[in-house]
Amino acid sequence: MASTPKASRVRADERGLLEAAQRDPAGFAALYELHFDRVYMFIVRRVGNRDVAEDLTADVFHRALANLRNFEWRDVPFEAWLLRIAANAIHDRRKRKGRELSFEDPPEMSSEPDLTEVEDGARLFRLVNRLPEDQKRVIVMRFAEHESIRAIAQRLKRSEGAVKQLQFRGLETLRTRFEPKLGQMPRKGAKQSRPKGGKNG
Amino acid sequence: MDKPSLAEQLDEALERAFSGRGKPPEFDDRLAPLLRIALRLRHLPRPQFRAGLKSDLEREALAAVGVEALPTARQTAMPYLSVENAAEAIDFYRRAFGATVEDRGKIGSAEIVIENSTIRLSDPFPDHGSLGPKALGGSPVKLHLYVADADAFVERAVAQGAKIIRPVEDQLHGDRSGQLADPFGHVWIIATRNQVVSRQEMQRRSNRILIEELEKMPGHDPIRKSFRTITPYMIAQDGPALLEFAKQAFGAEETYRGTGSAGGLHAEVRIGDSMLMIGGGFPGKEFRVTPTTTALHIYVKDTDAVYQRALKAGATSTNEPADMEYGERSAGVKDKAGNYWYIATHKGPRYVPKDLNDVQVYLHPHRADPVIKFLQRAFGGHERARYASPDGVVHHAQVQIGTSVLEMGEAHGAYQPTSTMFYLYVPDADAAYRSALAAGASSLEEPADQPWGDRVATVKDAFGNTWNIATHTGAKPA
Repeated sequence: MASTPKASRVRADERGLLEAAQRDPAGFAALYELHFDRVYMFIVRRVGNRDVAEDLTADVFHRALANLRNFEWRDVPFEAWLLRIAANAIHDRRKRKGRELSFEDPPEMSSEPDLTEVEDGARLFRLVNRLPEDQKRVIVMRFAEHESIRAIAQRLKRSEGAVKQLQFRGLETLRTRFEPKLGQMPRKGAKQSRPKGGKNG
Repeated sequence: MDKPSLAEQLDEALERAFSGRGKPPEFDDRLAPLLRIALRLRHLPRPQFRAGLKSDLEREALAAVGVEALPTARQTAMPYLSVENAAEAIDFYRRAFGATVEDRGKIGSAEIVIENSTIRLSDPFPDHGSLGPKALGGSPVKLHLYVADADAFVERAVAQGAKIIRPVEDQLHGDRSGQLADPFGHVWIIATRNQVVSRQEMQRRSNRILIEELEKMPGHDPIRKSFRTITPYMIAQDGPALLEFAKQAFGAEETYRGTGSAGGLHAEVRIGDSMLMIGGGFPGKEFRVTPTTTALHIYVKDTDAVYQRALKAGATSTNEPADMEYGERSAGVKDKAGNYWYIATHKGPRYVPKDLNDVQVYLHPHRADPVIKFLQRAFGGHERARYASPDGVVHHAQVQIGTSVLEMGEAHGAYQPTSTMFYLYVPDADAAYRSALAAGASSLEEPADQPWGDRVATVKDAFGNTWNIATHTGAKPA
């Protein structure tokens, strides 16, 4: 696939960062910022568990920093190099844990990663950072920190209803920015799903 | 009934999607795109993790500046090796280690240089107390050699007759190294500096290895199967009657019945996803253990029906079933042994709220704060929630300990402090026993292995509760 002019400009910027970091590892932080979301998303999609994903993500960046000098631009793009380290780290871990395939390794996540999915996820994570402050706080507590509505309401000193509203608005904002071409939510008259019968349990 | 708002419906749908329970009954199709976004956000990384890793990397990058395969030598000590047959050894070090011979003095004494280091060696002089590794049966001293490429170095040495003691591997501290023995009995650590590793990173790596080792150990679950961290242990004057009440009122399923260490009844029952231990004397027989009183918050599918069954089984009513503002229908009864059972049905996707179990122990201390502090210090408890009125009275608080949640509300009216007994599973009973004492509990029994495969200690806290602190080891006392 031919790269667009924009893509190649991004590449060139990144290459500058990379070469700077190879000369002076202190420049690694900039590369980290650029690639964190993708690496994390790549890993978490495959392992499905936050603790394991954090551990492996840390591992990938530590390995990358330690081996930065060995990276050669002409072989592969830097991102592909990072994802290869990530794939190896996941593989190593599974090997160390023996043949047991636990719930941490659901079969649908073991398949080859869909890079578009990874890219989309990373883009969405970046959009969260640009949400209005109150929406962002609710979204981060709810989705990244796995807090309950009740706990968030307490911490923010808001009612649970208000927190649910902020969650709703935050997701709305994200949706419009994430899928800009799809336009607004359908208005009135949208079909309702039928209530399913029966109490649960 | 009013239809819930879109925001309410969305949250309900999220709760269900996260627990894999499908769409809720009320679901506006306009919410579907938002739900899709939400599902992607499930993997949103924690900002704290992201920032923490970045600062770790920055520290490491700083330390890595100027790292080279060979750290600069700056020592003044020079090793002096005693070697049986020094002449042969010199030849070996030349071929195997690439040593150059600097100063060959009288027969059997020389200085050799490996990389940038000088080593002196000579034949043994037994008359002067200088013995070689063969005479000594080994050498207590190892030589640590930094080289440009440990793998290649070891390969060459092995080809010349050295023996590998430990293969070359990446080490936690950032070196890549291995150990070998030369044909004369000296041991060499051959290392290449890979990276400089921060103390935190080293700690992280060694923790991870430890966790992986623990996970690999068969049967190393400190909690006995089907139990949780906290199990209430209810002791009644008439044990069998209490057991019968739990069965009739709450459908408790008996999983074990035997004789306890005090000669009374010891029974274990399951209610929903939780276990209860019930003990006590038999009617007409003397029993030496003081009965306990316990309050339990117990979630059931149908509060009204369970409430009626409890009354029929002999309990008295403390609260008739009613809808509560916090989203539960609840009722209360007191059994003949004096225990309180708070019966509740959560109004939500499940009859039990998310993150809670079917049975929670409920405490009514005079002041909640010191109890929470005790649970934190003694057992690593974590305060999940606290609801206090403006005058500071804590009406409800939740403390997570391991896989269980302990609930409490400060004493008022009929709700007075209980003397509850807990059976608490922890990863290390000895350590938890010590921290409980340090947090102000007094010792009743020191840790000891019990015939049922648990190591148990018993303490009493300052609030009148007794804690059996246990670790399931599977070992029987000798």
